[in-house]
Amino acid sequence: MRFKMRFSLSGLIVLAIVGITLAAPLISPYDPYAIDGAEPFLGPSLTHLMGTDDLGRDLFSRILYGGRITILIALAATIIALIIGTLWGMIAGVQRGWVDEILMRTADATMAIPQILFALVCVSAVGSSVFSLPIIAGLLLSPTTARMARTAVVVELASDYVVAAKATGLKKSRLIMTEVLPNIAPQLLVQLSINAAAAVMMEASLSFIGLGIQPPDASWGTLMLQGYGNLWNTSWFVFFPALVVTITILAFNSYGERIRVSLDSRKSSK
Amino acid sequence: MTNLLSVKNLSISVPSAKGRVSVVDNVSFEIPAGKKIGMVGESGSGKSLTAYALMRLIKSPVSIDGGEIFLNGREILGLSSKEFRLLRGNEISMIYQDPMSALNPIMRVGQQIIESIQLHSSVSKSVARKAAIDLLASVGIPEPESRIDSYPFEMSGGMLQRVVIAIALSGEPKVLIADEATTALDVTTQDRVLTLIDKLAAERNLSVLLITHDLGVAAQFSDDIMVMYAGKLVENGSVEQIFSNPAHPYTKALLDSRCDYTIDVNKPIKSIAGQPPRPDNRPSGCVFSPRCAHAEPKCSASVPPLTSSQGRLTACFRSDELFQVGAVN
Repeated sequence: MRFKMRFSLSGLIVLAIVGITLAAPLISPYDPYAIDGAEPFLGPSLTHLMGTDDLGRDLFSRILYGGRITILIALAATIIALIIGTLWGMIAGVQRGWVDEILMRTADATMAIPQILFALVCVSAVGSSVFSLPIIAGLLLSPTTARMARTAVVVELASDYVVAAKATGLKKSRLIMTEVLPNIAPQLLVQLSINAAAAVMMEASLSFIGLGIQPPDASWGTLMLQGYGNLWNTSWFVFFPALVVTITILAFNSYGERIRVSLDSRKSSK
Repeated sequence: MTNLLSVKNLSISVPSAKGRVSVVDNVSFEIPAGKKIGMVGESGSGKSLTAYALMRLIKSPVSIDGGEIFLNGREILGLSSKEFRLLRGNEISMIYQDPMSALNPIMRVGQQIIESIQLHSSVSKSVARKAAIDLLASVGIPEPESRIDSYPFEMSGGMLQRVVIAIALSGEPKVLIADEATTALDVTTQDRVLTLIDKLAAERNLSVLLITHDLGVAAQFSDDIMVMYAGKLVENGSVEQIFSNPAHPYTKALLDSRCDYTIDVNKPIKSIAGQPPRPDNRPSGCVFSPRCAHAEPKCSASVPPLTSSQGRLTACFRSDELFQVGAVN
């Protein structure tokens, strides 16, 4: 497929966030774990761009390092959700009948439970670590992905060219790999982007209520929790991690929207 | 001459509020090897469903209720889907109404042809590519060496239909079904595509079933014509017989409603009063009787069988008395 390279602010921000956080050790001005008792609760200044925390640790460096954890968890969760969700939805969409019913009603049932509650139960069951969190978040995001993938597969399977390909004698497995999957890939891409935003939110929420990443490691959620605890003496502290989370979620969501719009215009122009 | 394809008592039904209703009712016909048959009828008369049944592409909730389809002497409705998959494209293939949607939009056309070639013969990719270029050349695509790498959206409707034909022929089938294959094209392109199918059919000794609602197209292209009405085959004869001496009131009325440059513009265009019956509300007896100008009580009492009359098959009780050969109606 040929995508025209078009300028997209949201895409640029997504790229920048992922790039900067992954390159944290190269960029960050201080050691995020270095405690400096002489400089607690400093306000933002040129030496400490976002100030320091109660132990005198540089907040900017901590946000960069925290972002690594948050973004990595989000990306891993997104990929897990994509794989599980796509398989889930494709099996339902291809098999139809009672298989479809069971799979999709399971998805509905899962979606009926509030996500944060479900996450709480899972975290208390298996504990929270950089390994369990992506799996939990990925599992939680997969039903919506499955529902989307199923719809896309059903629509593709009914399309004229799939019927035409079938009429040339193509096997069902080939039909799905060469005709269906490439044609639903753009829709999956949109879902991927929306899932990434949701995963960032989920990690931040869990860490904020103390069930996510545990100190001394930091993620954006734990930094927000720390800032919340010190809200009365350093009101600016919570502002920075919250701002970064907001920008990230906004960027991922609007990038997804951007892809969706460009898909629509391609569909209507053909 | 042997019959390559023969359909016996094919019945297809769909579910409705009143239970399953028949949309193709007891249709039988034969296609001899190398013949071109036109199937004409209004929308909803069951033409396309008949074609889809031949390809076994009928999907639930539509179902085939009865009948047999023999392809090269082999009954195909009873085959397992795996067995029939091997016949698709190899023995029988199909081209579609809308070439734009019959091709995968994100795959190069060459790749789609190559895929089909490799499906039917185990040849290497480079051999298949050569064959694909030859096929494109044979369906009249200019510069096939460069066109093979085009995407569907880079080609015009007429060219896409040629690509679809190339794919249909890639397995060297013996029967080609063209389901409204020229309907989406403009008239000049339509003519060229028909000429192409005609030429290819002659070269490869193909049997062609051309499904169309355009009487002109059917007349120009076919050897024999089948007329469908409300799920029934009402007349089946040669082009000459059907167009010069129709022996069924529906065929006659259909021909009379044609509108071309020879009609008298001062007179109203003739039309058939009423609408074709809905599948869930078919009249008893002859399905055409409520709209027929020559209907008698017996017409709505029992179904006229498809019988031989004046050298062709027709399903009308009164065809002999109404349509004498040479008589002017």
